[in-house]
Amino acid sequence: MSEDMRRNFDNRDELIGYLKEEFLEAHTIDPNVSDEFIGGRKAAEERLQQTDGGRNYQNTRNYIDGGVSRLSPYIRYGVLNLAEVRDFVLQQVDKPNDAYKFINELSWRDYWQRLYQQIGNEIWENQEPYKTGYMDYEYADDLPDDIQNGTTGVKLIDNIVQELRETGYLHNRYRMYFASYVVHWRGVKWQTGARFFLIHLLDGDPASNNLSWQWVASTFSHKPYIFNLGNVRKYTGDTYKAPAEEIGMQDFATSYDDINKQLFRKHATS
Amino acid sequence: MSEKSIAWIHADNLNPHQRILEENPDIPAIFVWDDELLKQWKISFKRIVFIYECLLELPVIIRRGNVAEEVAMFAKEQGATKILTPESPSPHHTVICEAIREQIPDAKIEIVAPPPFVDYENENLNLKRHSHYWKQVKKQAFKPTKS
Repeated sequence: MSEDMRRNFDNRDELIGYLKEEFLEAHTIDPNVSDEFIGGRKAAEERLQQTDGGRNYQNTRNYIDGGVSRLSPYIRYGVLNLAEVRDFVLQQVDKPNDAYKFINELSWRDYWQRLYQQIGNEIWENQEPYKTGYMDYEYADDLPDDIQNGTTGVKLIDNIVQELRETGYLHNRYRMYFASYVVHWRGVKWQTGARFFLIHLLDGDPASNNLSWQWVASTFSHKPYIFNLGNVRKYTGDTYKAPAEEIGMQDFATSYDDINKQLFRKHATS
Repeated sequence: MSEKSIAWIHADNLNPHQRILEENPDIPAIFVWDDELLKQWKISFKRIVFIYECLLELPVIIRRGNVAEEVAMFAKEQGATKILTPESPSPHHTVICEAIREQIPDAKIEIVAPPPFVDYENENLNLKRHSHYWKQVKKQAFKPTKS
């Protein structure tokens, strides 16, 4: 029998100090702690109270600084369940349709969980072949060091890695950009990228995470997801407004058609 | 005399208001850090801190090791033959439940689901793509939970 672990701490620093000793290996690899997300029901309820699941969410959620709820770490651990989040949002809006997009997004989580229940460990297998013109064996197994360390020279990707490591959270659009870069620009298996996310994302769970990676990779969708610099500039505000060469994004400063031709053997449609 | 129960709480449901704990306010409850999973996944320190903070709001004792062995031992310590545990979609949860049964052959394991988002059994849904699923559940997804 192992000993009971400690439950009483005067403050967060004391807790972190204790956990550093108990989970030394994890702390040695990456000592970051998220200041933005505090675990527990109390913090979850506070965040839920601040959630706007109505029109503002509908209109702004695609933008990096848009009105997303950031409830996912709490939902992932069941601290909040989907039904109560849905119920809360329905109370907020004048008519249910005002919360259409928010509830639709909640339904993705329910869908992934149900699929996971059905397919189990096959969640790690390609659900379908890649639609990129490449075979599974042509993709690399290892995540290159420059991606893991955020030193690719592509400012967008390096910033995403830094944010992921420091906060344990990424806006969904950043997750899609990163996954697309890893799989399609660098030719790495989606499973490898998915594992990297599961290490760091506070809301990481194999269902939502792996199936979203597969969606980007095209092993669970009709075509691979790609982005260009125009898309990045549209959704991220001023951060990437500098000339493409200055932010290492000249390869992305072109049309979807060109990127398709460049990346995929069989010309995927955009 | 009714049979004694324990709760085995795991990371797929760290809600202090979950049914197991609300309906059994005095139930001895345990959470076990899974050494095998920690080794396999190497989840980052920030994830560990977040989970631990969730645990501090739950009436559980926290241990670390082989989950099935620790839960079985806890059940024996408490003289319990029934184990209540929240539902999980993970196949690993099923493996652990089987391993607990090997340790305590007469144990009853009851899996308790959270309130459903939509009340459908998986086998009645087409899950090929989200669009198929959504078409089937959409109407119900906008109805609040009945209290």
